Amino acid sequence: MLQVLINGLARGSVYALVALGYTMVYGILGMINFAHGEVFMLGMFGAVFGIGLCTTLFGSHLVLNLVLGLVLAVAFASGWGWANERIAYRKLRGANLLAPLSSAIGLSIVLQNFVMLAVTKGKVDFPHYYSDTLTKTFWTIGSARVTLLQIVMFASTGILCLGLWWLIQKTRMGTALRATAQDRTAAALMGIPVDKTISRTFVLGSALAAVAGMMVGMYQGVLAFDSGYAVGLKAFTAAVLGGIGNIPGAVLGGFVIGLAEDLTSSTLGSDWKQTTGFVILILVLVLRPRGILGERVSDKV
Amino acid sequence: MKISTRLSLAATLLALAACQKQEDTIKIGLAGVQTGTDAAIGTAPINGSKLAIEEWNAKGGVLGKRIEAVVRDDEGKPKTANAVAQELVSAGVVAVVGHFNSGCSVPASEIYDQAGIVQVTPASTNPKLTERGFQRTFRACGRDDQQGIVAAGFLRDSLKTEIVAVLNDKTAYGQGISEVFKKTFEGKGGKVPVFEGVASEEKDLRGVIANIVKSGATAVYWGGMFVQGGVLYNQLREAGFKGALVGGDGLFDNEFHKTTQGKADSVFLTFGPDFNSLPSAQGFLKSYRAKYGPEGSYSIYGYDATNALLAAIQKAGTTDGAKVAAALRSQSWKTLAGEIAFDAKGDLKSAGYVMWTAKGGKFVPR
Repeated sequence: MLQVLINGLARGSVYALVALGYTMVYGILGMINFAHGEVFMLGMFGAVFGIGLCTTLFGSHLVLNLVLGLVLAVAFASGWGWANERIAYRKLRGANLLAPLSSAIGLSIVLQNFVMLAVTKGKVDFPHYYSDTLTKTFWTIGSARVTLLQIVMFASTGILCLGLWWLIQKTRMGTALRATAQDRTAAALMGIPVDKTISRTFVLGSALAAVAGMMVGMYQGVLAFDSGYAVGLKAFTAAVLGGIGNIPGAVLGGFVIGLAEDLTSSTLGSDWKQTTGFVILILVLVLRPRGILGERVSDKV
Repeated sequence: MKISTRLSLAATLLALAACQKQEDTIKIGLAGVQTGTDAAIGTAPINGSKLAIEEWNAKGGVLGKRIEAVVRDDEGKPKTANAVAQELVSAGVVAVVGHFNSGCSVPASEIYDQAGIVQVTPASTNPKLTERGFQRTFRACGRDDQQGIVAAGFLRDSLKTEIVAVLNDKTAYGQGISEVFKKTFEGKGGKVPVFEGVASEEKDLRGVIANIVKSGATAVYWGGMFVQGGVLYNQLREAGFKGALVGGDGLFDNEFHKTTQGKADSVFLTFGPDFNSLPSAQGFLKSYRAKYGPEGSYSIYGYDATNALLAAIQKAGTTDGAKVAAALRSQSWKTLAGEIAFDAKGDLKSAGYVMWTAKGGKFVPR
């Protein structure tokens, strides 16, 4: 049972990080960034390339290369997140809500195919030298095992969530962000650079997705151009479950879905795993249309 | 008036040119998965087929005409396979060598059957494909009911395993093969406490692995493909599971060893006999490697299936589906894998499966 909880929390922490990106963009723009799963996937590839590059440059330093790989992955994915907003959403800001929605879906297809054609049609293995140390170091609690990677996943999700909370509540940038989310026109009148703030939101969400991407790359061991789809869908579900636009809600939603999936595979069998998350979503939306912690109504999409 | 006359004249000429072009070549469809995680294993038979077609063309083609390969990617998805099948039919192919995944071959075969063209799959092993009485559907490899039986016999009789956990990837192939395995293994007095499916895109299998560890199984049977198989192997070892991992032909790709770093031990799979070490196959392998790089497990099957098909078209003297199918059944064909012959269903009359095992980053016959 403990093993199930550990596995579920590890899964949930990934969903939580990715869900934050969905929920922040929704909070500020009122649109669902369907290309966010692809940014997560780009983060995975960014990590593999970053680590490869560092290994070529500096030799096989375990910790140094992992950290530099993470930095490069975050930079790479954030760059894409920023570019996505410039390319696909900014021009459509005043338009009907269906327009950015379609361009988001289009962008997601473009990014998948870009990676498929430019990188590989098949799969890529995460460099074993780096992932092995994290997945093969473990501690035993009763009959359960917790690996170093799982602990890193819990810890980094925790730290990043706290960091994000501090950023949003305590800094000038956070104030600008909240103001833009409340009323874009009024915020602009108060001298807040709205466009810049929106760009920053995309960069922030993408950076979180890249961290999640790198951890999932190590956790699964393999990645492919379509790796972002399933995680993106679950994270989106998690964001809606927690109440889209609500930041603690996204984290809570992520953990609920992760735990629900692993509890299902241990009780009903893994055949049912995919269904529970969505069953919970439907139940919550019927009983609490705004999600578990929701404030904003998702009446727009 | 003048202009329209000229236009219609041009149109007629164009149409004539198109007709002529069509009659100059005989089109053979090559379909299978070439993108996604199955890309590596699925491209191999297509390359084998291409090589066979080139060799026939070098010798003057078939029925005195040049052979044109029409290659399509079904992405390993049944829906895309349907679309691809329709595309191939409307492109005017006279026969198809494909598809790779059973989940694709089965729906596509209905379209080919209705269009009256012959389909020879080099790799789809699900029994259903040839069990529906289609006269023009052929299989140039073994079947999962043979494969599952061999694997179950090996685990129960050779390894003396009593409890096996059975997993599959919820595809037509994976589900079919693991059901046969379970039935045979239980028939031999073994126990199967875990019989579960995981979606084929799922790469975090720790949930189901926790169930396996808890069940007391001492081996795992995997009905699925090599990418997930490699991930499964790594995560089983990560969870401290030391038993054997046994699979079917879907496990047989070099990418498996990349994922497991060539360190996989006690991994077994069922596959056809080792044709690649036969002296007769060396010429094929040499030209294959020169053109496409290292061969895949099914390269030779694509090559053999295409050669048998083209020889049958030559023998039938026509591209009519019914006659080509009759010709394919009428005699045995000399291939790299030895003499092969098709039975009334369209299956190979003798398709033996043997056990292979992972050794030093390679699969070798056990």
